[in-house]
Amino acid sequence: MAKHETPLLDQLETGPWPSFVSDLKQQAEKRAKNVEGVEFQIPVDVVEDLLGVLELSYKHGRTHWKHGGIVGVFGYGGGVIGRYCDQPTAFPGVAAFHTMRVNHPAGKYYSTEYLRKLTELWDFRGSGITNMHGATGDIILLGTTTPQLEEIFWTLTHDLGQDLGGSGSNLRTPADCLGQSRCEYACYDTNALVYFLTNEYQDELHRPAFPYKFKFKLDGCPNCCVASIARSDMSFIGTWRDDIRIDQDAVNKYVENDPAYPANAGAFRGSKDWGPFDIEKEVTGLCPTKCMKFANKKLTIDNSNCTRCMHCINVMPRALKIGKDTGLSILCGAKAPILDGAQMGSLLVPFVEVNPDNDYEEITEIIENVWDWWMEEGKNRERLGELIMRQGFQRLLEATGIEAQPQHVSYPRTNPYIFWKEDEVEGGWERDVEEYRKHHQR
Amino acid sequence: MSDLLDNVEDATKAVVDFLKEKSKNKTKFYLNDFYKIFPDDKPRAIKKVVNRMVETGELEFWSSGSTTMYGLKGAGIQHSSENEE
Amino acid sequence: MAFISTGYNPAKPMENRITDIGPKDHNEFYPPVIQKNKGKWSHHEILEPGVLVHVAESGDEVYTVRAGGARLMSTTMINEICDIADKHCNGHVRFTTRNNIEFMVDSKDKVEPLKNDLASRKFDGGSYKFPIGGTGAGITNIVHTQGWIHCHTPATDASGTVKASMDVLFNDFQDMRLPAQLRVSMACCLNMCGAVHCSDIAILGYHRKPPMLDHEYLDKVCEIPLAVSACPTAAIRPSKQVLANGTEVKSVAVKNERCMYCGNCYTMCPSMPLADTVGDGIVLMAGGKVSNRISEPKFSKVVVAFLPNEMPRWPSMTSAITKMVEAYAADANKYERLGDWAERIGWEKFFEKCELEFTHHLIDDFRQQAYMSWRQTTQFKF
Repeated sequence: MAKHETPLLDQLETGPWPSFVSDLKQQAEKRAKNVEGVEFQIPVDVVEDLLGVLELSYKHGRTHWKHGGIVGVFGYGGGVIGRYCDQPTAFPGVAAFHTMRVNHPAGKYYSTEYLRKLTELWDFRGSGITNMHGATGDIILLGTTTPQLEEIFWTLTHDLGQDLGGSGSNLRTPADCLGQSRCEYACYDTNALVYFLTNEYQDELHRPAFPYKFKFKLDGCPNCCVASIARSDMSFIGTWRDDIRIDQDAVNKYVENDPAYPANAGAFRGSKDWGPFDIEKEVTGLCPTKCMKFANKKLTIDNSNCTRCMHCINVMPRALKIGKDTGLSILCGAKAPILDGAQMGSLLVPFVEVNPDNDYEEITEIIENVWDWWMEEGKNRERLGELIMRQGFQRLLEATGIEAQPQHVSYPRTNPYIFWKEDEVEGGWERDVEEYRKHHQR
Repeated sequence: MSDLLDNVEDATKAVVDFLKEKSKNKTKFYLNDFYKIFPDDKPRAIKKVVNRMVETGELEFWSSGSTTMYGLKGAGIQHSSENEE
Repeated sequence: MAFISTGYNPAKPMENRITDIGPKDHNEFYPPVIQKNKGKWSHHEILEPGVLVHVAESGDEVYTVRAGGARLMSTTMINEICDIADKHCNGHVRFTTRNNIEFMVDSKDKVEPLKNDLASRKFDGGSYKFPIGGTGAGITNIVHTQGWIHCHTPATDASGTVKASMDVLFNDFQDMRLPAQLRVSMACCLNMCGAVHCSDIAILGYHRKPPMLDHEYLDKVCEIPLAVSACPTAAIRPSKQVLANGTEVKSVAVKNERCMYCGNCYTMCPSMPLADTVGDGIVLMAGGKVSNRISEPKFSKVVVAFLPNEMPRWPSMTSAITKMVEAYAADANKYERLGDWAERIGWEKFFEKCELEFTHHLIDDFRQQAYMSWRQTTQFKF
């Protein structure tokens, strides 16, 4: 018998998509039965009260949570989000219901051995409810009480070899796509770089360092599966600068509609019949720079005019491969709309080598230069993208010591209002007005 | 690093004095509020010093979730709801 | 419920403390076939919706079965995932950035048993636990935020709107009939902790009423300067207020016409709640993307200014989403993302084909960027 009636939520149990309501209910039941004899450190009926307060929100159309200023475990400025229920008497099990962010592994690969240790800990000291995963990438442990925070952190660090993620004015938990671990498009090892950067900047991740949040996201190629270009203050997107490798035999297999060579790696194997593959209509004709042609059974690409959009490679992955001279591009300043509107990342570094042998020195140097500038000049709660807007892209170039190049712009400025610096103008700004008057009457 | 920031005792006192002086109006501050105390130092060095003061117990963090602030330990409104007054 | 200590001593928090150790090393978690062939993959193929094969230069193959999941997940579910991974995948599993679960096996004969096992598991309420799909030219899982389950500023629920949407989009999760992939994202307030601003279709919770002011308690539970400085539009100022009983108290005043309903003040000050039954609801955006493929990444545009919260299944919202998906499926060219399609046919035709009403709220009036979106040409369609 459920503790609270949930007639509205019950209607979300039907339909084919996995029902979070059904899952919460099975969790509530499991805690109530407690077959394993867990000595629950927070109320046994926490999930029932969570269902109850959620049902109340469905009835009211309003949230019943309040913010709490708890930030983390001792010495950390992030990793925990404090949360209190505004109906604690009706739902005592969730009166205090804090979130812990646990730094997920690169590529989100897990062993079941690790996951089971984590679920054991979370059943014991928390609600047993999680997000796999949060929007930034962390494993989110949803709902525990204040006295449990340090205990959970202790077990995570001592027994699981696992640290918390970021929140507040910290570096947020960096996130990546699975990269070279299972993708032929990846131009660098995203898993290795995200692991390195996360460890290199542990202090920035755990303790406030910045005017506001700062996010790294790492995409192995311009397909941008982790949306780095839209969602991170600094995005690292794999690219290459030599030629796309072509296997002409394989190209012709696609052209001949060989079943082992489906268009777009089989992405259209659904209920709609798009007809036979047509290389001109589907590949060369859609190339945004029209730098490729197919004639006499041969595909040719003018690589100097290719912008590496990935379309042709995505359509014919068995025939076309990324180049061999690979690295990454760095873009800066992406953010969600609040406050001045959304920003996409702007290209700062067209190409940088990804070199683990020197601890990715070229990359960390750029990161630290950007941080130094933002820490000096950024206003409170000003994202990097907003600082770039306020002070100008040229200041970002100065701060990072990067030379301006046409790749930095979509097109040059459309106004001539250039603020020249004095030392850029021959002779400077100090002039002798008397000398001028010798030739020009007052 | 300036002599002031380099000396743990002096730096701690300067931060605590600054916070006490301001405490009538508010008790939580952004990192860059401390920049004024150490005008000759890099933000990164200042950050390390004030973050250490959290570990030694003089300061504590407060977070809105998206930004983190600093306050003297125990200062300001600590409770989370009207029932705890 | 006796308190059981780990050994942590609150009086000496730094004693035996371990900090700054970072995440687990992913190398410990790779399945052997991944570890062995990393960086040496030749190509991949989607064999059917939800099933992929990646082929290495060595000839090794890894088969992946992708299953959708609610990102709000209990330990019971995670343990069940572990049971499946132990049974079929030698104890390895991964999650995708869009909350899908990927089970990987190293030979083709292991695929069918895995698929059958996943498809057979259902909740008591009838829904699938592990629906297979989410690949290719279809609709994959919705990334989303917390909503009413755990956030203090949401304007709608996240898990519920996502469940309702995925139920109506379910066929496209298990099919690949669309012109290209279609990404749906959900954020429960305009702060967008899940950034949805570059999605093919974005569901966004939105408040429409400025905060209420609980003058009697405000100065007791909030630091007024923090509430004032929390406002991104400088709409809040300190103000003396006289209560009904004649007492004068320190509080704040809000310039309502400047308020953008972000809730940042409520974060700092619980005496400024803004949630409202009829004020809050849903904004729908469309046409964004993050991929650099063919066209540049682009922002989503607001296509429905407001829909009410209709618990528990938000029928007006799911109906508008369905109309967009069906119009796109019927009309777009192969490889064309939703936003590319809308730009090719023109947004005036988008509203016509999707049977969505265009209203004055959809014309941008927020700061300088607004100008860029107005039509500065005589080229348009009737």
